[in-house]
Amino acid sequence: MTKKRSPVNWTGFGFFLLCAAVVEVLARKGYLTSYVPPPSTIVAALWTGLLNGEISSQIFWTLQVYVQGLVLATVLAIAIGVLMGTYLPVFNALKIIVEFLRPVPSVAMIPLAILFFGLGAQMRMSVVTYAAFWPMLISTIYGVRAIDPLALDVARNFGVTGTEALWRVTFPSALTSIATGFRVSATIALVVTITTELIAGNSGIGYYISQMEQADRLPPMYAAIILTGLLGYLLNTVYFALENKFVFWTPAARERAV
Amino acid sequence: MKRIFNRGNASAILTVVVLLAAWEIVARIMKSVYVPPVSTIATTFVHEWFSPTFGQQAIPSLYRMVVGYFFASVVGITIGIVIGSSKAMYRLLDPVLQFLRAIPPTAIIPVGILLIGIGDQMKMVVIAFGSMWPILINTADGARLVPAERLDTARNFGLTPFETLLRVIVPSATPMIAAGMRTGLSIAFIMIVVSEMIGSTDGLGYYILSAQRTFAIPEMYGGIALLAILGYLLNAGFVWAEHRVLAWHYGQTARPV
Repeated sequence: MTKKRSPVNWTGFGFFLLCAAVVEVLARKGYLTSYVPPPSTIVAALWTGLLNGEISSQIFWTLQVYVQGLVLATVLAIAIGVLMGTYLPVFNALKIIVEFLRPVPSVAMIPLAILFFGLGAQMRMSVVTYAAFWPMLISTIYGVRAIDPLALDVARNFGVTGTEALWRVTFPSALTSIATGFRVSATIALVVTITTELIAGNSGIGYYISQMEQADRLPPMYAAIILTGLLGYLLNTVYFALENKFVFWTPAARERAV
Repeated sequence: MKRIFNRGNASAILTVVVLLAAWEIVARIMKSVYVPPVSTIATTFVHEWFSPTFGQQAIPSLYRMVVGYFFASVVGITIGIVIGSSKAMYRLLDPVLQFLRAIPPTAIIPVGILLIGIGDQMKMVVIAFGSMWPILINTADGARLVPAERLDTARNFGLTPFETLLRVIVPSATPMIAAGMRTGLSIAFIMIVVSEMIGSTDGLGYYILSAQRTFAIPEMYGGIALLAILGYLLNAGFVWAEHRVLAWHYGQTARPV
């Protein structure tokens, strides 16, 4: 019944190129506004920008803030999440604060962050940390709470208690849920990094995009926007690969392995 | 999880009260401009938002968001159903959609400003663009993953393709559509704040950023608090509506509500 299809979606990529070609012709013939440059000039701008360092240097600044914010958020979220998941009094004490702060859109914190940290990388890092913290916190709490009580009982029978049980039973069990939360947080962190750079940055791809917009240099502006998409796609692929390799006992990874 | 959140409320409330009291006392002792006492923020909040300011700043934001989100839902669900129920369309459009979706929605705002200017329209378009993707992708998945026996049953009963679409595929995809719309709503909320921070002369995003720039610090905190409350209410309202619309689904799958 099912027809054999080639693993590469040639139809789709063909259509993609066709769309680009149509825009190219329309833009060159002048049927579009001058704000839509021909795709070939965008690709050329991306290529030269990456080679001469104009765009590639911005990637470095963006990634720096992104990595710092994400790492800080991960450490905080796992530490607080394991505490909240393990000890009910801690959970009860903090739950209203979590429920109240979580829905605050992270971008609303930008003015507050500017107030405390100025316009530099530290400000952006603090906003990224805030944004990336919540999904991981929630998934850590869920992961810790979802532990099979049997596993903890077995550990106790073998004399594994306290910190050791936390480290050898709770943490590995919860890691599957934490990994999922991490991927969500990582996606959010990149978007928030670029957003913060757009609004109030002095370096990074987002800053570059707004500079190019104001300078009316459209091909590099579009090139940088496309680059952000490529970057997100690339990072997500890397995380998937890492998750399959290091958290191989997650249900999702097991499903993929079968 | 819900039950867990209802237990031990006394200590939860106590923590909040203690923290707010500590904030109030520390702020009064430090007299820092950056951290005004909670009572000052509360007074400013009431003074600002129970006044015409609400109509001038919050209503435009909500209006843009509702219109943008509405278009995102209509376009996202329509395209999603089309590519989800046709394998050929799915293969044809998938790379284009994946490409557009990978771009962080806020990075589109400068393009919107160039093409449309900084008016209401630009914000509605970028909100629609940003919040459309989760709706579209979820709808497509929902329509694609309709259980085969339902489609077979429909064929056995002699339903036309159009009837099958309307009476089998769309209802089957609704829970997924709802999940996508919920994600889309939170993106729409972020998009409105960001688009107003980048290019606007009114709205909540504009309000809090200009409050910070003019050192109207209690106003800034009050604006952030209003955004928090609105974000919370929007999400709670959506969940409430979802459970009413999808009561049949939760009944069917016997999932604890």
